[in-house]
Amino acid sequence: MRERLVAVALGAAAWVTVLTTIAVVAVLARETFAFFTDPLVSVVEFFTGDRWTPLFLDKHFGISPLLAGTFLVTAIAMLVGVPLGIASAIYLSEYATPPVRRRVKGVLELLAGIPTVVLGYFALLFVTPWLQTFIPGLKLFNALSAGLVMGFMILPIISSLASDAMISVPNSLREAGYGLGASKLDVVIKIVLPAAFSGIVAAVILAFARAVGETMIVTLAAGQRPILTLDPRETIATMTSFIVQAATGDQPAGSLAARSLYAVASVLFVITLLLNLVSQALVRRFRERYE
Amino acid sequence: MTAASARRARGRLFYAAVLTPTLLALAVLAALVLDVLGDSVSWQVVEPAGSGSSFSVAEGFRFTGTWERVVRLELAARGESAEEVEALLANSEERRIFAARNRVELMWAVDGQPLRWVVTSSRDKLISDHALVAGTRERKALLAELRPGQHLYLNQWLDGSIFGRNTSRSPLVAGLAPALLGSLWVMALVILIAVPLGAAAAIYLEEYSQDTWAARAIEVNLRNLAGVPSIVYGILGLAVFVRFMRLGPVVLAAALTLALLVVPVVVIAAREAIRAVPDSMRQAAYGLGATKSQVAFRVVLPAALSSIVTGVILAVARAVGETAPLLLIGAAAFVPGLPSSPMSQYTVLPVQIYSWVGENNPEFAHVASAGIVVLLCVLALLYGVAFWLRRKFERRW
Repeated sequence: MRERLVAVALGAAAWVTVLTTIAVVAVLARETFAFFTDPLVSVVEFFTGDRWTPLFLDKHFGISPLLAGTFLVTAIAMLVGVPLGIASAIYLSEYATPPVRRRVKGVLELLAGIPTVVLGYFALLFVTPWLQTFIPGLKLFNALSAGLVMGFMILPIISSLASDAMISVPNSLREAGYGLGASKLDVVIKIVLPAAFSGIVAAVILAFARAVGETMIVTLAAGQRPILTLDPRETIATMTSFIVQAATGDQPAGSLAARSLYAVASVLFVITLLLNLVSQALVRRFRERYE
Repeated sequence: MTAASARRARGRLFYAAVLTPTLLALAVLAALVLDVLGDSVSWQVVEPAGSGSSFSVAEGFRFTGTWERVVRLELAARGESAEEVEALLANSEERRIFAARNRVELMWAVDGQPLRWVVTSSRDKLISDHALVAGTRERKALLAELRPGQHLYLNQWLDGSIFGRNTSRSPLVAGLAPALLGSLWVMALVILIAVPLGAAAAIYLEEYSQDTWAARAIEVNLRNLAGVPSIVYGILGLAVFVRFMRLGPVVLAAALTLALLVVPVVVIAAREAIRAVPDSMRQAAYGLGATKSQVAFRVVLPAALSSIVTGVILAVARAVGETAPLLLIGAAAFVPGLPSSPMSQYTVLPVQIYSWVGENNPEFAHVASAGIVVLLCVLALLYGVAFWLRRKFERRW
């Protein structure tokens, strides 16, 4: 009897995590449904409109400016984070000795552990003034510096996961390459990278999801002006920064403006969920190959 | 050039190309830390509202009661009579108000003199603010331009008294007390909620659950939860804890929200730790007639404990630095008092930093950087403890 009770209690704890997901989906679904049933909102406009002004009197609900803003910042972050992260992963797995690897990984973990509000401060008060000295027309709040700093936020994620993938490539493959007279460069590029490819892609996708959901850097450094632009010098708004703006403003609960943040959050949730699922599927495939 | 040497040159180039990004990442980390530290010190020209005096180290210092001594000197300089001064110092409430509105500390380079006592009040006027490097370069010019009654000093924003002061509309006397205490409250409650929950779920998944569809569902779900953006947890907390359970914007709501956020992290760490416990230990316990729960709680859990604790500390570090979900569930920028119970209104360090960075008054950036230094120190402490535990209790089975 006592045994059964313990098992049930422990199982309940495990189910709390499932309950969390259900609650998230339920909350988002309910409020998003309420949002779309409002006469002022149309589903078509939401996905095709190019103006997002829920906090103004003249309300328009086209999410594309927020998507464009999110995409712009994320693209800059990926441009920085992916090449640097993969290069650093190659260094860690193929060149660094195990003690050096352990230490460098530890320091990179510190970079990954810096609270994003601190990174936002750094982007706004250090990177932007520095960029302004040589980029004319750079706004005080801009996508560029937020994206650059976000690139260094995802660098440790990519570096750590991709180097794990490369390390687990069996040494026999490398040795076969050397036996055929390949240089280290050839072995890394033609053997290790292709062998670890799905693991590296999984790392990149995971980092992409993290960048899409990242909030504080963009809220602080990229501004809160939802316009449809791909100019990195401009002030923009992302899905996450809009959610913060709408939630910290004084919209009464249940108003259309307040509900619009749930619709945006639903889109954000679906995007990150899909990215995570793809990343996990890739990791599984990659594990099966060598275990 | 021979083919062999070209090949070597290519190899060296590639080595440089993969080494540079790693060094670049470390350089960015260093730049960030230096920037924050540099911002927490600045040159300032201040026009005091009251006395406009500063005092030498010898005038103010006493083996006991230095603070009182400096306050006496300052109040006398402000023109209060001796009786008024004694009355203020004798009344604990008045003392508290004075301490909240005035900053009493040793300042560097006051008007060209090395070290002086300065009392800054919230009504003092900040004339100008200069970054550490630029101000040091122009120090002579700044001193020459001082009007009567104005002071130039090197303000180290992160002084000891910042931990005791409340938030303020004036950057000169804004303090960290509510944010630091709020963070400690939230941290403690997150540990109380997330650790039992996470450890229990991990034990269940590793020791109890069979490979059924339910177990797989929990498994997949956990991995997805770890990837949900933190701001979505804020929305969950707002809808469930703040509104539905009617907790309002209080410490408990924040702790519950952040606990849900870190539970997947705790579970994943705890499962790895539990999996590392060798089966022979379980078999030995079963051989002695132990029941399943006895094996789980008296054999497996103690053996995995240090690794679990390490994972928990890293999860807590994440919770302490989290801002976005707390903005959604109503951590305030200005709170009336210090949090004293789970049902108190609160603010936490990252939220306080966020609101200071967003202030129109640019001097708040210095207070924000002081807050960041404190936040990073808290995190460094947590990481240090986790690292130490990992080293000390690392076991090979």
